[in-house]
Amino acid sequence: MKILIADDDPISSKILQKNLENWDYETVLARSGPSAWQALQDESLRLAILDWMMPGMDGVEVCRKIRRRKKYKYTYIILLSAKDRTPDIIAGLSSGADDYMTKPVNFLELKARLKAGRRIIDLEDKLLFIQNQLKDLASRDSLTRIWNRAEITRFLSEELERGRREKKFTSVIMLDVDHFKKINDFYGHSIGDQALLQVVSRLRRKVRRSDKMGRYGGDEIIVILPNCGQAEVKNVGERLRLAVGGRRIRTELDAVPITISAGCATSDLQQATSPEALIKTADKALLKAKEQGRNCVIVSGEARQRAREKENA
Amino acid sequence: MPDLIDLDKLQPIDFDEVLNRIGGDSSFLMELLTIYFQEFDDKKHLLEEAIASQDYIQVCELGHSLKGSSANLGLARLQRVALSLEIAGREKRIRPAQEAIRALEAEVQTLKTFLAKNTLP
Repeated sequence: MKILIADDDPISSKILQKNLENWDYETVLARSGPSAWQALQDESLRLAILDWMMPGMDGVEVCRKIRRRKKYKYTYIILLSAKDRTPDIIAGLSSGADDYMTKPVNFLELKARLKAGRRIIDLEDKLLFIQNQLKDLASRDSLTRIWNRAEITRFLSEELERGRREKKFTSVIMLDVDHFKKINDFYGHSIGDQALLQVVSRLRRKVRRSDKMGRYGGDEIIVILPNCGQAEVKNVGERLRLAVGGRRIRTELDAVPITISAGCATSDLQQATSPEALIKTADKALLKAKEQGRNCVIVSGEARQRAREKENA
Repeated sequence: MPDLIDLDKLQPIDFDEVLNRIGGDSSFLMELLTIYFQEFDDKKHLLEEAIASQDYIQVCELGHSLKGSSANLGLARLQRVALSLEIAGREKRIRPAQEAIRALEAEVQTLKTFLAKNTLP
């Protein structure tokens, strides 16, 4: 484990270094407050021994700066000082140090205190890991691992907000597998799931990195396309349709011919579009695609647009 | 100023104490003492400059820092003299500061002689 030794006294720094290396720590040395602060920009440095008295910036100030920063993992700090009066110890700990030791350091004690520090760091790492896992569980669909409905809706409202600020279109594609119910009824749900997974994997290869795909429910998949207008969304929709329907989908039992239908909708730059309204519009277009015989892409408002263009021509 | 007469009762270096703190490694102790002597020479120059320009803050800080490294090596006598230098700096008194520097030089000499005569345990 890496550890910072910030001490301007070369003797005390050297002794610390020797002991810490004997205990299998990887040491990083700093001789002043500013160089300690510089070294602590490295996120893998989770343990720090700071001398109170240092040129440039003292250990207490370095502590305060560490505690003020956001988004960094926790740094466990032991403050060293020759000051052994209670008010000094209180001031040192109040600046954000986790522990306080008076000099000259008793090394057996330091070793034990570092172990306590590592317990705190391990605990934080475990908590962060679990937090990430929970976040993932709460935001992804358990079958397909793409975003779930709540997460994709949240993402859409963020994108609509951003699009409004930046005067850029946001588009939505709502798509579903044609006759998915029949596949489930005929082959069973497990094969239906396999097919859906394959559909998602084919779709994934055709969306841009900035697009987000979520499972809206059942076999309904929604794709959010930031910075994408009506003309482009049609192209993407077609690309997705061909990617899925191009060849049969292989499952455990059979190679199943599968096609999708898609409905597209694009935000309005003149007036605010709510995520619910946009999804509803895309849903209507999807319904129209179903009515027109499936395996096709319908863009909402496209017919009106074309009519207007004809009038103007 | 702390009573310098007391100094004679102290050993220039407390081998047991310092070796205990560095895991009994006497060659490492020699290495540290070499660094200490180099540091001492550097700091002595800085101290002379600081006294010439009456920079008492610098005198006080150098005294503090010498006190710390002396304590780390079990150099109780040097630690005491460095403390008197720190205090002289804090109180902005030039004569005690100059006396302390001379006393430091003498103590370093005493330590070197002591080390030459006494082999490490």
